[in-house]
Amino acid sequence: MSQTVKMEARNLNFYYGSFRALEDVSLLFLEGQVTSLIGPSGCGKSTFIRCLNRMNDLIPGTRVEGALTLDGENVYDAKLDVVELRRRVGMVFQKPNPFPKSVFENVAYGLRVNGIKDKNYIAERVETSLKSAALWEEVKDRLHQSALGLSGGQQQRLCIARAMAVEPEILLMDEPCSALDPIATQKIEELIFELKATYTIIIVTHSMQQAARVSDMTAFFYMGRLIETDKTETLFTRPRNKQTEDYITGRFG
Amino acid sequence: MERLHLEKELGNLRLKALEMGSLTEKALSQALKSALERDGGLAETVLDGDTEINRLHCAIDESVLSILAREQPVARDLRFILGVGQMAANLERIGDQAVNIAERVILLSQRPALPHNPLMEELALHVQDMLRRCVGSFNSDDADMALQVCDMDSRADTLNMKILKHYVDFMIQESRAVERAVHLIIMARCLERVGDQCTNIAENVIFMIKGVDIRQTCRP
Repeated sequence: MSQTVKMEARNLNFYYGSFRALEDVSLLFLEGQVTSLIGPSGCGKSTFIRCLNRMNDLIPGTRVEGALTLDGENVYDAKLDVVELRRRVGMVFQKPNPFPKSVFENVAYGLRVNGIKDKNYIAERVETSLKSAALWEEVKDRLHQSALGLSGGQQQRLCIARAMAVEPEILLMDEPCSALDPIATQKIEELIFELKATYTIIIVTHSMQQAARVSDMTAFFYMGRLIETDKTETLFTRPRNKQTEDYITGRFG
Repeated sequence: MERLHLEKELGNLRLKALEMGSLTEKALSQALKSALERDGGLAETVLDGDTEINRLHCAIDESVLSILAREQPVARDLRFILGVGQMAANLERIGDQAVNIAERVILLSQRPALPHNPLMEELALHVQDMLRRCVGSFNSDDADMALQVCDMDSRADTLNMKILKHYVDFMIQESRAVERAVHLIIMARCLERVGDQCTNIAENVIFMIKGVDIRQTCRP
């Protein structure tokens, strides 16, 4: 297991107007590891994950303080190319959100946006990405049909393929299975095990069992603060903090 | 968002474990009393009582499996459930040791008594104390008391070795008493094993409370 720090937040604060949604969060992500962010609704875990590829920039009246680095470089540097950042730090959302285009065009989209025109290269990347997302066998005969005709689980794997087509280094997943049935969930989880060989994965989940199953590290957020982070096995067997213990054992508040 | 159902299940599991602890203490105490008083009738009671200890062991195993499958417990709940499962297995073996002792009493009570051995009495009181304390530490979530039990085990081992030596010497001089002396050596060995099982339980109690594994065999 690599111990290289891929991404690191130091004393990160985030404000929606005057509301401080994140308070001095310091957390690092090691290369090739899966990290789960858990905590009750409104604890800041989604806000935090959206800071990592500056998705929050799109919300007016928000402000970031503190340091966030990717391979040691400041993510919030004014000169940083945000499109390039989002290529390197891909994202998959809670609800599958394929474009109203064909399966092929959904995956090819990011490549085209990044100015790639070589048809053979695009076709190759689409196939590789769909294979990596464990979807190829199910869609290879309907690549040019609408992506909206796929099942929810297939749509979510398509979104993962779309994120992977541009060869990101980090994959952010914001509750990727919350709209899926148990079988589709299991497929995504198996996929996470496969993908961690290539990507650093950060996943927000409401399912403690999912965090326990898929991640190497788990971080528990509560009211905008990072309460505890540890190896998943340790956090789920002997958490150090009482708030963590109360949350994961379902004795909250 | 209190998990009332899980709390209830854990409460029931705790009660079953305490009931099993209490029955095991009673079995060991009756077995030792029957030995001291050469009371074959009381020894028979120990044999009969073991059925209930075994039944509780099965019931605890069933509850443990069911809670694990349905509730997916974590952290202190997970440690508690696994710990109770291990504790029940150890209590069941202590119950078996009480039966072993009672079986020897039934045999020995029909034969002339051998001279009183204060070492045997000391070992009996010592392991009874260990059992009382390890069940007590579980009942009151007292890791310090559990640690005391672990420290008591070496005394049980020493007493067992002294008893063995005593009866080996005795057999050299009293060849007619060999069979009875062998039974007494086995009884001491049973008591020493009870000490080991109490230590296992105490180690488990520490794991349940602190999440730390203090077993010598698990240290690198």
